[in-house]
Amino acid sequence: MSAAPLLQLDGVVRHFPVRDSLGRRRGAVRAVDGVSLTVGEGEVLAVVGESGCGKSTLGRLALRLDEPDAGSVRFAGTDLRAMPPAALRQQRRHMQMIFQDPYASLDPRMTVGQAVAEPLRLHGIVPRAGERARVQELLSRVGLRPEHADRWPHEFSGGQRQRIAIARALASGPRLIVGDEPVSALDVSVQAQVINLLQDLIREFRLAFMLISHDLAVVRHVADRVVVMYLGRIVEEGPAEHVFATPRHPYTRALLASVPGAGGKGAPLQGDLPSPISPPAACRFHTRCPHVQAICREQDPPLVAGATAATPTHRAACHFQDVLPAAPPATEHPAGDRLARLQAFFAPKPDMGNAA
Amino acid sequence: MTHLALEVRDLAVTFGTERGPLRVLDGISFSIPAGRTVALVGESGCGKSVASLAVMGLLPPSATVEGTIRLEGREIAELPPEERRKLRGADLAMIFQEPMTSLNPAFTAGDQVAEALRLHQGLDRAKAHEAAVAMLEAVRIPEAARRARQYPHQLSGGMRQRVMIAMALACRPRVLIADEPTTALDVTVQAQILALLDELRAGTGTSVLLITHDLGVVADHADEVVVMYAGRVAEIGPAAQVLATPQHPYTVGLLGAAPRLDGPRGTRLATVEGTVPDLANPPEGCRFKSRCPFRIAVCDTKPPLYDVGPGHRAACHRAPLEQILEAA
Repeated sequence: MSAAPLLQLDGVVRHFPVRDSLGRRRGAVRAVDGVSLTVGEGEVLAVVGESGCGKSTLGRLALRLDEPDAGSVRFAGTDLRAMPPAALRQQRRHMQMIFQDPYASLDPRMTVGQAVAEPLRLHGIVPRAGERARVQELLSRVGLRPEHADRWPHEFSGGQRQRIAIARALASGPRLIVGDEPVSALDVSVQAQVINLLQDLIREFRLAFMLISHDLAVVRHVADRVVVMYLGRIVEEGPAEHVFATPRHPYTRALLASVPGAGGKGAPLQGDLPSPISPPAACRFHTRCPHVQAICREQDPPLVAGATAATPTHRAACHFQDVLPAAPPATEHPAGDRLARLQAFFAPKPDMGNAA
Repeated sequence: MTHLALEVRDLAVTFGTERGPLRVLDGISFSIPAGRTVALVGESGCGKSVASLAVMGLLPPSATVEGTIRLEGREIAELPPEERRKLRGADLAMIFQEPMTSLNPAFTAGDQVAEALRLHQGLDRAKAHEAAVAMLEAVRIPEAARRARQYPHQLSGGMRQRVMIAMALACRPRVLIADEPTTALDVTVQAQILALLDELRAGTGTSVLLITHDLGVVADHADEVVVMYAGRVAEIGPAAQVLATPQHPYTVGLLGAAPRLDGPRGTRLATVEGTVPDLANPPEGCRFKSRCPFRIAVCDTKPPLYDVGPGHRAACHRAPLEQILEAA
C-alpha cells in the first residue's frame, strides 16, 4: 500500500432524520456513526455487514454522492467537502460507482455505445472523432464485442449488463471505484466471470476499489483489507487474511459461522438487529453477544489492536478481544485433488467474445 | 424403508409463447422420502422454480404439464383444479423468497396463520387464533401473542419469514416446498431460519423440497440434491457425495465458480464460460456441451442418467469423470 491513501475518511457521521406525520423530528437513523478508513491505490477494501449496518451509505459518502453530517472525506489529499462544485465535478471523473442491479443502472433509452461514451463526453476526455474507437476498446476490455456498442441494454443478460456498467465506470479513467454489491445479483458462474474481470482491472489500472458486500466468501476471495460494520460503526478491521483466519470480534465470528457450507460452526446468532434509531448504549453488539459482561453495557469499546493481535493493523472494538475463546479453526477443506484437477479444465480463457 | 412423500416422474412443462412453444422443463424425475430434504439447485432459468410450481399446481393456464406427480402415493397431476386447491395449504405447502410480497399487508400475522387452520381444519375463529399463536411460538417468534396482532410491515424480514413458515406448517403438510427461503435475508438470519426448518422437519416428519442456488446451503441442509441445467437433471444423488465427487461437468464448474470461506484467496475462479442455451432453440444432445471442456462427438446425442455410484447418477456421456483424469 502506498504511503498516502487515495481515499481517507475521518470520523464520518451521517444521520437521517426520522419525522412523524406532522413533520416533527423524532430521532434519527444513525446510518454511519463515526467511521474512519482509508483505501490505497491498487487496494481492495471490503466493507461487510448486514442490511442496515450503514455500508451503502458509507459508499455514497466516500464518493460524495451524499453529505456527511460530520467528519471529513479526502480524495488524493483534498477535502471533498471544501471543494467548490466546479472542482468537484472535475474530480468526479476519478471516482466511479458500480451498482448491484445492472437492470436498473443502465438507461434503457441509450445504446450501449452511448452509455459508455457519456462519461467520455461529460469530461471531454477524447475528441468526438476518437470516441467510437475508445468505446469499442473499453467494451473489448470488459469482454464484450465492439459491435455491441450499437445494441440496447435490454438485449443483454445480467452478467453482460454488469460488464457494460463496468466499461462505463472505467471510461473516465477513474482512480477509485466503489462497487456496491457489484456481483450479488448474478448467478454463480457469471459472478465468477465478473469477479475475475474486476480483479484483472484493479491490478491493471491500480484502482483503489471499495467493495461493499454482504457475501463473505466473495470478500475473502478478493479483498486485501476488510472493514466489518455493525449499526453504523466499524467493529473490526484488518488485513483480510487475519480477519478471516482469526476474527477478533464476536460479531465477525458470528457472521463467519453463519455462512452456509462453512460447517455450521457454533449456534446461530440469536435475535434481530436492534433499531439503528436507538442503538444499544456502550457496545452496540452487547444485546446479541454470547460473551457479554457488565462492562459491555457501560463502556463503548475503542477500535484498537489488542495485545494478542497478529498485526497492529488488525483492530477490533471489543473489550475482550484478547481473551475470547479461540475461534474454531478455519476448516481447511481444499476442494481435493480430483476436483481441482477437473476444474483446471475450466481454466478461464482470455476475456473475449461471447462472455456472459 | 421409509415411503416416498413425493414422487415426480418425467415432469415436463411447456409454455405457449409468441415465439412458439417453450419447453422450460424437459422431463425431470426425483423423489423425496418421508422426513427428508431434497434440494433442487441450478442457476436462473434452469427450471427449478417451474418444477416447484408444477408440483404445487400453481402454473398459469398457458403452461402444459406432462408427467406424473405422486403425493403420498396418490397421483395429483391429473386432479381437477378444485381438488388441487384443497391440497395446497393442507398436504402441500410452500414458502417463497420474499416474505414481504407473499404476506397480505392488510391482515395481521395471526389472522394469516389462522386462515389456513379455519379453511382446512374447520376450526372456529377463537380456536384458530389460539392455534395460530401456538404456531408462532413453534417458529420461535418472541412474544407470539403480541406479534400475532401485528401487521407484516411491523415485522423484520426474518420475523416475516418465520410467519410464512408458521402459515405453511400450520396444517402439518406432508411436503413443504421452500423456494429460496433465505435468499433475501441477511446471513445470520438465514442461518436461524434454515436451522429452524431442519428442527421443524425433524419434529413433524414433513418432507422438504428446498430450491436454492447456494451449494453451501445444500451441503448443510439437504440429504439429496438434484442439479438442474437448462430444464434437465444434470446430476442427482446424496448431497455429500455429489458435492465431494461431482460427476457432471456442470456441477464441477459450479463448485469451482463459487468462492469459498475455506478455498484459496485471490486466485482466478474457475468459470463456466458462455451462457445457458436458448430454450426456444435448444441444442441437439447434451445441453451443456457448448460450455463443456470435455465435449466429444457423442455429446450430440442426449445423454441418459448414468449410474455413477450408490443412488448417484449423472447425465454425461463421459461420466464417471475419472476416465478423463486417467487419460490426462
